[in-house]
Amino acid sequence: MQLSELIVPLLIIFLLVYGMVKKVNSYDCFVKGANQSIDLVVSIFPYLVAIFVAVELMKVSGLTALCTIILTPIFSILQIPPELSELILIRPFSGSGSLAVLENIYTNYGADSYIGRCASVIIGCSDSIFYIATIYLSQTKVKKLGFAIPIALVATLIGVVCACLLCKIM
Amino acid sequence: MDKIWLAIMLLSLIFLLFNSPETALTSMITASGSAVNLAVKLLAVYAVWLGLIEIVKRTELSRKLSSLLSPLIDLLFGKVDNKAKDYIAMNMSFNMLGVGNAATPTGIKAFNALQDGSDKATATMVMLLVINTTSIQLLPTTIIGMRVTAGSANATDIIMPSLIATIISTVVGVIFVKLIYRKRKLKKNKIKTK
Repeated sequence: MQLSELIVPLLIIFLLVYGMVKKVNSYDCFVKGANQSIDLVVSIFPYLVAIFVAVELMKVSGLTALCTIILTPIFSILQIPPELSELILIRPFSGSGSLAVLENIYTNYGADSYIGRCASVIIGCSDSIFYIATIYLSQTKVKKLGFAIPIALVATLIGVVCACLLCKIM
Repeated sequence: MDKIWLAIMLLSLIFLLFNSPETALTSMITASGSAVNLAVKLLAVYAVWLGLIEIVKRTELSRKLSSLLSPLIDLLFGKVDNKAKDYIAMNMSFNMLGVGNAATPTGIKAFNALQDGSDKATATMVMLLVINTTSIQLLPTTIIGMRVTAGSANATDIIMPSLIATIISTVVGVIFVKLIYRKRKLKKNKIKTK
């Protein structure tokens, strides 16, 4: 058993006990909160469909493969191994999609290989940028994101370059 | 976002015309089906987390958490009202703990509390987005689990490099936001004084 597995249940126990001390009706709160999940999912659902459809089309049409070929020379200048191009390309769009690519990398190169370790660190230091941007803004009127996406992409790319360097020395 | 979506859709569909046009509609519907599956899964996950978050709010633990993180939030976001601050504090804490599924509903609520009715993202919103998209996880539990399953002899040796890389990407993101939005503010003030 790992320490990290204990954190969440411990926090929940603490929360419920604290609620008892504060004389809060936890049951009522829980039910009220859980009820909001229906509205939340209903409001994000159309955005989920839009992203999933675009990502799937990108994959079946071969657009992903083409972008991988185009990006590989740029990545090699940045010292990023070409085997990781697909992972880096999928990562901003889809969390589950990039985990599937990671799984493939583990099978093909091994989890403890340089490629496998780089891939792990890349997933650990990045997130699904387009997915998050869409879902987080789904309940607001905001359409213009300003510099949010370019900044996030550049910062993530710098993180990725560092990830590959760190895996070489650590 | 809408332009990126349109570009991806058009390019992919044009590609498909030459590859296998018959798969276009079926793969769109398959994708929509996966979205339905994810939505059902999220309904379950969010119900549990939103239930617990409601208790956090009612016990005013969220207030305590946000006053604890207040110096950091003030530094990053400038002035935000208390409701948004509570959600930002919870969102950042969940992110750091690696429970992304609890971070999402708090993030959505934070944006709700931050919106001023205009269609342009404010500097605060951009900052919150960049912090969320550059990932500030302390323990990459999912990846460690996957490494163990894949037969890694040393599944946890990626913790340190991940932590350093994630700190670098987040710090770089924060600095970019600060630089770009401070410049714009200065410009605006200059125009005003003229």
